Formats: sequence, structure tokens, C-alpha cells
Amino acid sequence: MMFPTDENVLVGLDRADDAGVYRISDDLALIQTVDFFTPVVDDPYWFGQIAAANALSDVYAMGGTPKTAMNLVAFPVKEMELSVLRQVIQGGLDKLAEAGVVLIGGHSIEDRELKYGLSVTGIVHPAKVLIKKNLRLGDRLVLTKPLGSGIVNTAIKAGIASAELTDRVTHLMASLNRAAADIMSNFDVGACTDVTGFGLLGHLAEMVCGSGMSVRVFSGQVPLIAEALELAAMGLIPAGAYKNREFRESMIEFAETVTRSRQDVLVDPQTSGGLLISVAGHQVDKLVAALKDAGIHDAAQIGKICNGPQEKIWVL
Amino acid sequence: MKQIDARGLACPAPVLQTKATLQEEKPNIVRVVVDNAASQQNVQRFLESRGFQTKLEQKGDDYLVTGSCDTASEEQDQSSVEQPSADPQSEANRIMVMCATDRIGFGDDELGLALMVNFLRTLKEMGDELWRLVFVNNGVKLTIDGSEVLEDLREYEKGGLKILVCGTCLNHFNLLARKQVGETTNMLDIVTAMQLADKVVSI
Repeated sequence: MMFPTDENVLVGLDRADDAGVYRISDDLALIQTVDFFTPVVDDPYWFGQIAAANALSDVYAMGGTPKTAMNLVAFPVKEMELSVLRQVIQGGLDKLAEAGVVLIGGHSIEDRELKYGLSVTGIVHPAKVLIKKNLRLGDRLVLTKPLGSGIVNTAIKAGIASAELTDRVTHLMASLNRAAADIMSNFDVGACTDVTGFGLLGHLAEMVCGSGMSVRVFSGQVPLIAEALELAAMGLIPAGAYKNREFRESMIEFAETVTRSRQDVLVDPQTSGGLLISVAGHQVDKLVAALKDAGIHDAAQIGKICNGPQEKIWVL
Repeated sequence: MKQIDARGLACPAPVLQTKATLQEEKPNIVRVVVDNAASQQNVQRFLESRGFQTKLEQKGDDYLVTGSCDTASEEQDQSSVEQPSADPQSEANRIMVMCATDRIGFGDDELGLALMVNFLRTLKEMGDELWRLVFVNNGVKLTIDGSEVLEDLREYEKGGLKILVCGTCLNHFNLLARKQVGETTNMLDIVTAMQLADKVVSI
């Protein structure tokens, strides 16, 4: 399909990124993104928060500041109490307030299944847009949230996750990538994306494709929810993880020491995952330290950008 | 043989059905029929995690996963053994040191702690052969804030040594938030590391 464009489209459909970017003037560009989904947790208030954190994340991943948002709601009016919807929207509103973003409209329809999400608009200096595809030789990769939310959500559905684990992963998914993005803006960052449905390796593959670089991932350094490994070994793996692995199979080489369960966590689809940042090699320790100082305790250096073999991801 | 028809079900339902059947009926042989590859792999892995040996057949659109636990053969053992890695270190000896206590020996506790501190500091003499440092039970207390060897452990980690700290143990002592060094781990990782190591030293 052909999509018309113009010279002010800085990031458009021709190179799919986390969000679209449109230049308004020499020092201002708009970032636009939209995302919505069916409930990932049972609690409507937390679902609202997670959906909002997830939608906002795309703006942070582009290096921008979100400013305004609009609600997208699909609601089964006949089957569900309106109070549920009120709680979902309150969750979204509270998360927007935390991010300093105002809700300025929205649209709702009747549907058989509850769906909620937001369209978010942000701003960025046109020269400071962070795209996915700008891996530089010698850069290091930093991940800001632990992996495994997809596997844990599957365990929650199966009724075998503890209340404590459920609570922990809910908070994790609802946490904003705002602080991480703020800190990242003070460093020499080449590329950034957020880890969501394609899993860590799927999103990394998008960064690697067309870069001419290869990447080494130190799987032992990748932050993860400790329980996810055991749950994966029990076969509590979302179907999406298998699809993610299959789709990028030709690009990914796992060392034989990487256990099957760890591989699964690396392709586990995430809801509202962390930022995956490619930062100048000499700054990586400082970046990780700054993230930890800001309370982002799981932040860790997880890999590095190397010369060929062309466009492969080596997981050690 | 117990047969479970889990066709038309999405993950994790086939695993749950299998789990319920194992719990209620404790069959020695179980066959699960599913109709998608993800469920097939999940059921297979679940059965293997419960000590079953599995066999897979495909019939049209259906996958038949058969698990048997009374014929635990060498074949099963082999499938669970990890191959040695291709990394440069595989040439050298790989030594795994497992500390299940925060002090060495019995008798005087103060002496025991001093010995442990000295032991951990001297470990670096192993050089590149030191491959994994694992802390379980009381040993996890060496990895939290206030530990006398915290800086030493951080140095090891910076030098590329992988430090594994038992999550169950941290949780038991309510120290999860106070861990300052190493990767929180589980028994599967510890056992895998043991399998890969050339030598395991247990303190």
C-alpha cells in the first residue's frame, strides 16, 4: 500500500517506529501515538492505569514529552456496571496526572468486550527525535524494567500466581517510563524503543534490521521477574512468545548455555514494558547509576552493539 | 492411559487441564490432544517439568502429546542436560562456589564471619576459573546492605563474575529489597549452573 507523505513527516509509516513525528516548525515537532487493548488485569482501576502508562510510553521512547491525550473506550453497556468504566477512566486519569498530561477528549462505543486505551500527543525538538534504527558501533544497551510480565499474566489467568506476585507485576506494568526518559535525555543516546508485544528480542530485532550492526545480549544481565523462569518451565507461556521467537528465528542465535526458560522470557510479550536504550559505551555506567538513583532499581546494561556478522542478535 | 482433549482451548487452559488431571488421577501415562503449536509446546514442557518423558505425534491439525513417568530412561536425562557453551571460558575450568552460610565452620561465630570475609576476598586467586558465586540460605545475608564483603562482591561482578542470590531465601528472611549485588535466582538456575560447572565448591 502507498501512503502519501510530505517533507514535514519526520517519522511516518515508511519506517514504522514507536510513534509518528510531524515537524511544525524548526524547533517543534508533534509526536502522535495511539494504543488500546482488552483488560490485562482484573482490577478496572489498575487496568486504566496500565493502559495509560502503555500509551504514554511510545512518546517517551521517541524522546518526547507527552502533553495531551484522548480516551478510546469500548464498553459492554448491557453486561457491565457503569461503575467499572468509571474506575477504568479514573485509573487512566490518575496516570495522566502523574505524567503531567491533560485529557482533552475521547470517544466511546458499545462493544461486546471492554477495551480501553488512549491517543497521546507529545512534543519534541525535531533534532532530538529518538528513532529505533540508529544503532552505533560500540554503544551499549540498557533496559529499564524487568521482563516476564506476559508469562506472569498467563500464570495469573491460570490462577497459580501468588497475590504478592500479581501485585508486583501490576505495579510494574503501571509504572511510567517518564523518569527513565527524563534521565536518558541527559545522555548521548543513539536509539530507543519501548519493549511491548514483540518481547525484548523482537523489539531489538526491529532496531537491528537495516542497521548493518549485530548485537550481543548478555542474558544473565537482563533484569527479569525471578518467578518468570519457573513459570516458563511449567509451560505457562503466552502463545505470543512462540510467535515472537518464530518470526525472528533467522536473526537470533542463542548460546547453548542459555536455558530454554530464559530464552522464553527474552521473547515474552510485555505489557507496558521498559525502555530499551542504546547509549554511548563510555556513558553506560553513568546512565545505569543515574537510573538506579532515581528509583529505577531494575535498570541494567544488557548488551552491546558490535560489528557483524551482519544483523544478528547473539544471546550469550 | 488417561486422555485429555484440549482442542479449541487457548493457553494456558490446556496446561491447566493437564495439571488438574495429574493432581486428581495421578496417571502414569497421559495423552493430551491440542490443536495449536503453542499449546503443544506448553503442555510438553509442563509434563517434562513434572518428570514425564514426552512423545509428540501430529495427526492432521491435531498434536498428540504423550507423557509417561514410569519409564524414566536415559533418553529423558539426556534431553535435560545442557551442552557446554561455545564461549571462550569453556576451555578453562569452570568453578562454581556455593555459600549456604554467612560464616565458615562451627564454633566461634565471630571467627566464622572473619573467615568467610577472608575466604570471599581470597577467592579472586582462582582467577578466570571462578565462574559462578551462588548464595543460598544464610549466605544471602552477605549480599545485602551492611555486608562486610559488599564492595568485594561488587568488584567481582564488575569483573564479569556472575553472582546468583537465591530469591526464595531472600524472601524467607524478608531481605528482597535489601539485596545490593548479584542476580536474584531460583533453584532451576542453580541446578543448571551446577550441571555446567566443572567443579562445585560448597561452603
